[in-house]
Parts: sequence; C-alpha cells; structure tokens
Amino acid sequence: MPGHPDARRSFALTRRAALGGLGMIGVGGLARGARAEQEPLRFGLAMPLTGGQATYGQDQVRAAQWGLDAVNAADGVNGRKLAAIVLDTQADAQTGIQAVNRLVSVEKVPVFVTAWSEVVKAVAPIANDGKIVELSVGANSPEIARLGDYVYTTFPLADVDITAVAEYSATKLGKKRAAVLYINNETGITAAQVYRDTFTKAGGQIVAYEAYDPKATDWTGQILKVRLATPDIIHIQGLVADTPQLIAQLRQLGLTQPISSYSAVYNPKLIQQLGAAANGVIATSLAPGTEDSPAVKAYVERWQKEVGRPPNGLPYTQYLYDAPFLVAAVLKSLDSAKKPITGENFRAEMLGIRSFDLPLTGKLVINPNHTVKKPVYLMEVKNGAWSELAVVS
Amino acid sequence: MEYLYTLAILMALYVILAASFNFVIGYGGLISIAHPVFYAIGAYASALLARDAGWPIPLAIVAGALVALLASILVAVPSVRISGDYLLIASIGFQLGVLEAIKNIGWTGGAGGLTNIPALLAPGSNHAIYVALTIAVAIATVVLLRWISRGPYGRAMSAMRDDELAFAALGRNALAMKVAIFALGSGLAGLAGGLYAHYFRFLAPGQFDILQSAALLTMVVVGGLRSTWGPILGAIVLEALPQAITFLDLPPSLLGPLQGILFTGLVLIFMFARPQGLIPAGDIWRGRKAMATDARRA
Repeated sequence: MPGHPDARRSFALTRRAALGGLGMIGVGGLARGARAEQEPLRFGLAMPLTGGQATYGQDQVRAAQWGLDAVNAADGVNGRKLAAIVLDTQADAQTGIQAVNRLVSVEKVPVFVTAWSEVVKAVAPIANDGKIVELSVGANSPEIARLGDYVYTTFPLADVDITAVAEYSATKLGKKRAAVLYINNETGITAAQVYRDTFTKAGGQIVAYEAYDPKATDWTGQILKVRLATPDIIHIQGLVADTPQLIAQLRQLGLTQPISSYSAVYNPKLIQQLGAAANGVIATSLAPGTEDSPAVKAYVERWQKEVGRPPNGLPYTQYLYDAPFLVAAVLKSLDSAKKPITGENFRAEMLGIRSFDLPLTGKLVINPNHTVKKPVYLMEVKNGAWSELAVVS
Repeated sequence: MEYLYTLAILMALYVILAASFNFVIGYGGLISIAHPVFYAIGAYASALLARDAGWPIPLAIVAGALVALLASILVAVPSVRISGDYLLIASIGFQLGVLEAIKNIGWTGGAGGLTNIPALLAPGSNHAIYVALTIAVAIATVVLLRWISRGPYGRAMSAMRDDELAFAALGRNALAMKVAIFALGSGLAGLAGGLYAHYFRFLAPGQFDILQSAALLTMVVVGGLRSTWGPILGAIVLEALPQAITFLDLPPSLLGPLQGILFTGLVLIFMFARPQGLIPAGDIWRGRKAMATDARRA
C-alpha cells in the first residue's frame, strides 16, 4: 500500500532501483559502445595469396572474411569486434615462417590460422616457442598431430578420409585389386601409405603403387604400369591442379576402371574440365554438402551471386568460414572469465570447451591427441554432377 | 622483436651464402649454380647428426659444413675438368639429383620435410644471441674470403680465372685450385645450412631448389660480382625488400606480381644499366685509381 511506510520504502527502493537500473543500462550501453570502439581483437590468417596455390588460398581467405563478418554482425566477441591480420605464405615454408614471425612478434596475436602441410610444419616451432596457438585448417598430414603442444587442427588428417575411402572400396564396392598413383610430396606419400595399409588390411591387394613428380605433365609410364597390373579400382592421391589431367590421360589410354581420390578432388571444376570422363570418380568430402545442410546451400548460392562461381575446394572454404567462429567462441569465453588473452590461455580455454558447433562444418570436437574426427562424405560424379554416395562415420 | 631477429639471422645467413657464392663464381670463375645444394647438405647433415645420432649441436654444425665440403670435392674433381656451360649443366644436374634423393629417402624426412630438429638455443633463451652468432660467422666469412682473394692466392685465382692455359703453362695446378675454391665456398654454404637448421628447425627440399639459386645469383649480380661488399649489400637489400613490401598492405593481386618483378626486374635493370652491380669490383692488379684514370681517358 502506498500509505504504509514500508510500502513507501519499497516504492523508494523500487524508484532507486529503477533509476539505478536505467543508469546501469546507460553505463552498460556506453560501455558496450566503448567496447565496440575499442581496438578489435585480432587473430592471424597466414594463407597463400600469391604463387601456385593462390587460387585456393584466396578463396579460403574470402570465406574466412565472410565468416568474420558474420561473427561481427552477431555481436563479435562480447560486443568487441574481431579482426584478422591476413599475410601471404605462398604455401612456401620460408615465406610462411616470415609471415608467422610477424604475426607472433609484431602483431602479437594469441592464435593464428594457417594451412598447407609444409607451412604448418615449418611454423610449428614458432608457435610452440612463443606459446601461440597454431590452428591448421585444411592441411592433412598425419604428422600435424605430433608437431607440439600449441599446434592443433580443425581439419581431419589424412588417416580419416583416406581410411574411409579405402575401406569402402574394399568392403562395400567389393574391389579386390587396387592401383595407387600418388604425387611425390608430403600429401601424396603419407596418404598413399594410409590407403595401401587400409586396403590391404580390408582384404584387398595393391597391384600397382606408382609415384609421380609434382611437376609432371605426362604420366604415360605410370599409367602403362597400372594398366598391366589390371586393377579393379585406381586410387589417385594428387593435387587439384594435376588430378584432372591425370584422369583424362588414364581415360585416353583406355583405362575405364572406377577412380577414387580424396577431398582435394571434390571440386566442381573437375567436372567442367573432364566432362563425361569425370563420371564414376569418387572423392571424399569432410564437410556437409549442399544436400546435407541449408546453411551450406545458402553459402554456395552466395558464392554464385557475389563471385559468379562456386568456390575452389568447397569443403576447405567451409572450414575457413568456420575458423573465426571457433576463435570468437574461445575469446568470448576468455573475456567472460576476465582472463588475459594470451596464447597459453587461449589453448587452455579451447581445450576446456573442446566441442564447438560451427555453421558450415557442424560439430567439431578437438581431441587431446591433437586430432579431430568428422564424418566422411563419399561423393561420386553421376551424370555430370556430384552426388552423395555414402556417409562414413 | 622476434621478427626482426629472424630477419637479421636470414640476412646474415644470406651474406655467408652470397659471399661464398661470389668466391666460387666471381673470384674463381666457376660457373656453377648448385650453391644451395651445399647449403642443403650442410643443413640436413647437421640436423640428422644432432637429431638422430645425438651429436652436440655445435659439433653437428661443424660436421655439416665438413660434409658439404667433402661432397663438393667429390663433385668438383670430375666436374671442374670441364668449364663454362658444361660445368653449369653438371652443377644443375647435381643439384636436382641430390634434391630428388632427399625427397625419396625416408630418413631425410622425404618430400614432406624434416621436423623436430633440436634448437641450438634452449627454449626461452634470448634469440639476440643467435643473431650475434650468425652475424659473427658472416663477418668472419667475409674477412676470410677477402683476405684470401686479396692475397697472393687471390692473385693466382685471378690469373687462373682470366687465362687458365697461361696459368697452367707457368706450372701451376689449375685443377687443384678450382677444387679448393669450390670446396671452401661450398663448405661455408654448408656452415650456413647448419646454422639455419638449428634455428628454424624445419627443412624441406623445396627450400633449396633452382629458385634459391636464382635468388643467390641475383644477390651477387645486383650487389657486384667479384667485390667484397657487393654480395653483402645484395643479400641485405634483397632479403629486406620483399619483407618491406608486405608492410605496404597492398592487395594480393598487386603484391604477388610485385615480388616477382622485384627479382627479375632488378637483374634486368642491372644487366643493362649497371652490369658491374651496386659496388663494382676493383682491379686487384692495378687498384681503383688506375681504373678510374682509364675510365676518364675513355
């Protein structure tokens, strides 16, 4: 009752509380405004912007920028903007070292994102010494899991998708004789070994195992050896740039067997380049496709609308799009706990959270052994388009 | 600060490489572009001896230099009997062959590169120590090579380079001198390799390919062939310039071509406008004053 002293007190308290509340809102608003005007929180993005891999690197940086824009549009890091310092690695070890040294010692970022196995390995000592988190997003060398305490991957390493495609070929497709053609570099050598071991373990036989030079433009010798071995299936572990040419030459030389490969081959360009010869090619994808996720469908449509084409290496760009979300989630958690934003704290907080729900690649769980496990989408070219063959969990 | 330390270390290492390369091609007149492969041999040998055989790192670095020196003698003895274009072809063949071997041998890390190389400095140490060490080695290299090239042996080298037949007619052994020049230059490159390996702790064959040869050649040509200070200036300028460009925050579409143009453009400009390089070589027989007098007369 208003006439009652207690009631007045209560009213007075309420009025005081209301004024206080308004004040708090005002101060909070000002604080939020001040936070938004504060220097943005920064992370590094060291990717190939020039050189032979620039086609893929530039698309991945564009995807990361879109992801960053989405993070900032959704309140950033507790109201504070997130920004990326983008530097060129040329997918080259020495250039990568210089770029990451700059990120660590000049830009002083607590975390940086990079890709391409050689660069990821070359910069690992810098991350470990400086106690700065290195997030490998797209490189797949199994050695990445053993590069040190501060090196983590958000992308499944080669043993995940190559194991899946080898097992599927031997058990579900019933192939007994496989030929392996692999590029003689980090990606090719390690992944070819994984395929060989898995296929053999699953009861199959490797009838040809041929390496080719990364600069090769003609594979006649290797193809003729494969032909003589009469395989049921041919697995190619190459790069996006050479695999279409290799497949074309295989078909020209009369090899009609099914061809399997990995995520680098899952690219719309392959179909454009090969036409009918692409039919029957099986590739892996480590991210959901347009059929699996409306968000991915919208993302691909955005590429068509804004860039006029689908991205080169769609699944890789999906991981890069999601990278700022992971960084923002960890930074938010650090900010909420009022912990200083350092590489050490970032690492501890990331391992504390462990599980992240990301918009384009789904749930990500970072394992203590520095690996991640994701479902493998086996894709096949049918009637001139990629379609889902199976999902291997 | 770490960034500047790394840059300083790379500059010092490139000074060693450019100065020793200048010794081979400039003073010795041996047209070889395989210098980076001896850098690689020194780096890999040192890294493997320290990592897998457990050698103390300083000893492994010295051993790496010796392995590079010995490898260069093995190459030089049959190769320097030939000269000019043929030596160039032989050196390219050797470089490609060694790099292919590294790519295909498991214990070198293969094409994927060699990791977990032990560091010379303990974690948390001040990296300025490494900067001082590499600069000291670079200064010692330059002083040593200058001392050799300016002394009686240097005059004999000039004579051998300018007229091998006349040199041999005087009873001097041109083959032994060529092998010695090649071995010393390559050994110093191997020493730089060891220093590189135990700081950066990752080696991949791609780091020592033909592009590296082109970069070294540019440093020597732009700096000034057969001069003491030219290759030093070339190494510092060409190592610093690409880094400086990245701070301009140019769009990638401009940055990539600009870095490419930098090296090729500089070589073209210097070949036409200043073939003697930034710092021209003095004539050790007559001195700079006599050359200047000749130039005025002309």
